[in-house]
Amino acid sequence: MTRRERASSVTRAFRAPRRPQLSQRLQSLPIPQSTRKSEPLLLESLFDSAPESWIALLPQPSLSQHLPQGEVEVVDSALLQRLASIAGGFTSRVSLEPPDALLLEVRGSFQLFGGAQSLCLQLLERCRQAGVELRWSLAPTPLAALALARAGGETIVLARDRLAGVLAPLSLKVLGWPAHTVVRLDAVGVRTLGAALRLPRASFAQRFGQQTLLALDRLTGAAPEPRRMFVTRERFRAQREPGFELYAQPMVLQCLEPLLLELEDFLRTRQSGIDLLMLRLQHRNRPPTRIDLRLASAELLAKQFRELLVLRLSQIELPAPVQRIKLRSGPLQPLVTCSESIWRAGEHGGAAGRESPALIERLRARFGSAAVYGLCLIPEHRPENAWGIAEPGVGTASVPKLTSSAMSRRPLWLLHEPEALPSALQDLQIVEGPERIETGWWDGREVARDYYIARDEAGAELWVYRERMPPHAWYLHGVFG
Amino acid sequence: MGQVTPDSPSEPTLERLLEHPAIWRGRSAARTATLGTGCRRLDEALPGGGWPAAGLTEILTARSGLGELRLLIPLLAMLGRELPARWAAWISPPFEPYAPALIAAGVPLERQLVVRTADPAGAIEQTLDSGGCAIVLAWFAATARSSGVARTNKSTQLSPLRRLQLATQRSQVPAFLFRPLDEAAQSSPAELRLVFEPSLEGGRLQLLKSRGGERRPLDILWSEWRELNRCEPKKGKSARDVHDQT
Repeated sequence: MTRRERASSVTRAFRAPRRPQLSQRLQSLPIPQSTRKSEPLLLESLFDSAPESWIALLPQPSLSQHLPQGEVEVVDSALLQRLASIAGGFTSRVSLEPPDALLLEVRGSFQLFGGAQSLCLQLLERCRQAGVELRWSLAPTPLAALALARAGGETIVLARDRLAGVLAPLSLKVLGWPAHTVVRLDAVGVRTLGAALRLPRASFAQRFGQQTLLALDRLTGAAPEPRRMFVTRERFRAQREPGFELYAQPMVLQCLEPLLLELEDFLRTRQSGIDLLMLRLQHRNRPPTRIDLRLASAELLAKQFRELLVLRLSQIELPAPVQRIKLRSGPLQPLVTCSESIWRAGEHGGAAGRESPALIERLRARFGSAAVYGLCLIPEHRPENAWGIAEPGVGTASVPKLTSSAMSRRPLWLLHEPEALPSALQDLQIVEGPERIETGWWDGREVARDYYIARDEAGAELWVYRERMPPHAWYLHGVFG
Repeated sequence: MGQVTPDSPSEPTLERLLEHPAIWRGRSAARTATLGTGCRRLDEALPGGGWPAAGLTEILTARSGLGELRLLIPLLAMLGRELPARWAAWISPPFEPYAPALIAAGVPLERQLVVRTADPAGAIEQTLDSGGCAIVLAWFAATARSSGVARTNKSTQLSPLRRLQLATQRSQVPAFLFRPLDEAAQSSPAELRLVFEPSLEGGRLQLLKSRGGERRPLDILWSEWRELNRCEPKKGKSARDVHDQT
């Protein structure tokens, strides 16, 4: 830890005039130069400094700068989200404080950004570039940071034991407690945080509620405050209006190309992929043509999207010339990357390194999604219910595998619907059976059948059954292929 | 590819050239990479000792479901254990592949991919070219194709099969086509063509077209089929070995 940082762990609270530049303001902080390697200072920075450091950011509506201290302004939630994604560049722990504030925990980022002061400076610079005016503060607990920021801000408190001293002179209004609580406290002469903290805990809780006491504990860090972290919910959205009408699909694709590349860049910087891509082609006086691309796994390459879009576009006919193209992505998915094989897929036996989802996507784009499927096993005794259609590659590893000896022979082929056989079965020669398969009262598809393995005149082995119910009809159900 | 035995540098160049897998002389068995079938006698009857590891194999039967699929079950099970995992594609199968029977035969379900389409040739080509498939099984619901208009123009009628043959060689993936017996008279670019007829507890195989395989019909019994555990394709016997024996 540098000397400067060590020095900055000493509490500083100051109110500077608003005029000078922020960097000048920060440099003008009274930094005590410790000339000796003092044990207490080191101890404080190593042991007594809080494990967390929270920055509270209060965006200021640019027109209403002269609101009374502590009053809560309603800030656009879109602005908060934008701020949160900026803050995401400084720490992964960002939390929204809904009506008007943003909290970020930056302890782990100090080293990278060269200390608390430097981090704050860079964060504010970045926000200023985005056109947001802020009040801010840094404190060991989120509530304290928020209170300090509401009280006027620009305070850096790193050590927890200094916190009470800094908070003491602040008005109770900064906590955002309900008005009646503040009024009642005011009536007993408690107007500052310091006064509230000095009250006996037991009677305080009795008179103002356990929650209020907990808020005070959270303020000073005596009680932990778990926070829900903000997760950026980003989507790609782009559109293009070429200024002339696109008549043919090649022109549409050409116009789409830069959007796809932009999408790839967008995804690459976020190390994410998408499994849903929505394309809207807008026409004049017509409803837009919609193409939704669903992918078997998260992808990010423009090449892949283009390939699939070409397939889909070739299947549709444009009802009218296209005026505008809109591209929108589904939610971002974490991307699992894997190395590509040295050979191009399909060349010299070069294969994709995994069960290639690209193949399924391409087949589905061409033949429709219902035409491509995998198989799964269902633990059921009725033959037609013992298998099912599954998403390809979704294994049935969880189903205990039946050994072939545990069950009698099953045919490799099953007919989709049992096929009625003529009642006279002279052509068939029974080889094995019967195997009785019965019941299914729980879902109304009751069966009562005797299954036989039979051989027909061509020598094929068939799986046939006879109904046990009166007509005693014979059916063909499977073929031992 | 051009694997020339380095221990015999004095050998004439022509001899060495003739060992190239792409060259096949009528008198000898073709030297192609193969995959075991699971039946020793069938292995011996087939050129190179097994199914072609890259190329089109046609299995012709009077109708579907006579037992022809059982010929490939050991291969499906073996490829299903192979890593990296690749699909086994079933293109327009005549019935539903029955999952419990496949599991019982050791074929992993999570690698099976069923495609139902009116354009099997296109689907086969796409699966082969993807590089994500270990084996392609396809059923040509064919007779419709050989009747009517298609017959008038023979060159366009045959081009899909030719394209498939090229695709299997490009991708080095075996493809098995199940076709009806009446198409046996048509010429085909397939590497191997065989007719399967069921018999009691087995079947009779007749090679219609092969590069140096057995000419006589072969009767096999299901009881002599074994599980395959070899994963790497074996190289066929060199042309020279066959010469020495004859």
